[in-house]
Amino acid sequence: MKKLLGVTLGILTAVGGFLDIGDIVTASVTGARFRMSLAWAVLLGVIGIVIFAEMAGRVATVSHRPVFDLVRERVGARLGLANLLASYFINFLTLAAEVAGVSLALQLASDVNYLLWIPLVTFLVWIVIWRVKFETMEQVFGLAGLALIVMAVALWQLHPDWSSLWHSASHPEVTSGEGAPTYFYFGIALFGATMTPYEVFFFSSGAVEEHWQRSDLILNRANVYLGFPLGGALTLSLMAISAVVFAPMNITVEHLSQAALPTVVAVGKIGLALILIGFFAATFSAALETALSSGYTISQYFGWQWGKLVRPKEAARFHVVVLVSLIGAALLALTAIDPVKLTEYTVVLAAAALPLTYFPILVVANDPDFMGDKVNSRLSNALATGYMGILVVVSVATIPLMIATKGGA
Amino acid sequence: MNEHPAGRRLYAALQLLDRQILDADAMMAGKVDDLEFEQPSDGDPYVSTILSGLGALGPRLGGRLGRWLTAVHRRLHPDPEPGPARISFGVVKRVNNHVELTLRRDELENNELEAWAREHVIAHVPGAGHAPE
Repeated sequence: MKKLLGVTLGILTAVGGFLDIGDIVTASVTGARFRMSLAWAVLLGVIGIVIFAEMAGRVATVSHRPVFDLVRERVGARLGLANLLASYFINFLTLAAEVAGVSLALQLASDVNYLLWIPLVTFLVWIVIWRVKFETMEQVFGLAGLALIVMAVALWQLHPDWSSLWHSASHPEVTSGEGAPTYFYFGIALFGATMTPYEVFFFSSGAVEEHWQRSDLILNRANVYLGFPLGGALTLSLMAISAVVFAPMNITVEHLSQAALPTVVAVGKIGLALILIGFFAATFSAALETALSSGYTISQYFGWQWGKLVRPKEAARFHVVVLVSLIGAALLALTAIDPVKLTEYTVVLAAAALPLTYFPILVVANDPDFMGDKVNSRLSNALATGYMGILVVVSVATIPLMIATKGGA
Repeated sequence: MNEHPAGRRLYAALQLLDRQILDADAMMAGKVDDLEFEQPSDGDPYVSTILSGLGALGPRLGGRLGRWLTAVHRRLHPDPEPGPARISFGVVKRVNNHVELTLRRDELENNELEAWAREHVIAHVPGAGHAPE
């Protein structure tokens, strides 16, 4: 059982990373508009995050150095600081969106306006970070996120035309009535959401917080190889049920409630209960990941004591950063800014910063001074180098595409 | 201190600069933000002092960002014209993935902001003194 619970860090990271408030809606939107013809973008992203999260986890396990520590040492203090400012800004906006997202999930369950939930949600996120042990946190929210498996059950229950879904996924083409830039814009949004940098900030810091040692390298692999593909499968299920239910009727998806609808149609009341638990757990996990990542990145850049392992008093600046970020994010969320739009933009902005985060991981994973005999294999270097090429193309293309398509409108 | 205080030959820029400092209790205690060298009349230069904190990083980075960090350092420091926090290289115990010191972090000059945040903010919140459960 203990071994089984050992993979919850990967599940938590993946569910919070792939199925946060923006990604839930994006996956639904793309399913409704493009059916499965953008499934390749999710698949490409999942393989990429598996390669780099495995590396980041291995580096953290062997050298006890989390990602942002490496960023500064390898890309230099100046470019590292630019990366820090960009990462923090993106993280902060995502955190605001997730706080609103958790509140929206609660609104769906309670019919109480989400703005009223924001103060309580903010307090809950903070209390979990302040008082709950890292391991307990990852087990509770990682396992609660598994409620989203109901989406896969829903897909089964809908008795879809499997061959047509498969055909749409395996013969990707720009759907008629949609422009190619829009198609690729959503492709980047899906790819960027699966490879979003806060996942590796969180995952590698989590490995350090959990005191992984060399003997835990297998645990690292288990987390990565189980957690991320599971998150990817859930994203694809959501896309598929949306394609089955919405695409034939030309329904445009804009809200979280619509993303829940196909599951309710297929599985009924139990489906509704599970999908609400799942949405809550996923957005709450994303809020935890981004709130902690804001503290992790700043503390790791400046060398301050960070983490949940020590008493809060002993990581004072880390906790001040987390607290201030959370309060700021809650205030931003209270302006009633649309959290779905906000994450759609932050994911695309994050895509532009991807190479700066993943390049240092690749360099250090090859450095025998840090890694000893645990340096990258040739295969993982070949794959990772290929991905660096993809990341550079994505980072150059992303902002022009966002402007050209007016954010996929 | 022996005749060759550097002891080991290091590529200072690669193996010291920007590295994490750990104190005697293995607590994180800032970064090696800059270095000071001494040039003896009869030998190679050696690292004499580690400079750490915003007061060291700002001037090293230069430019707008650097000036901004230096200004933050000046604003937060009690002295009107504070210099960077200095750590003598003599208290370095070991250099590996981290730079390990023989002192505890409350004995270091670069710990002032951490101490301030602890005393004025975090210590006032209930539960600050217990590890999470």
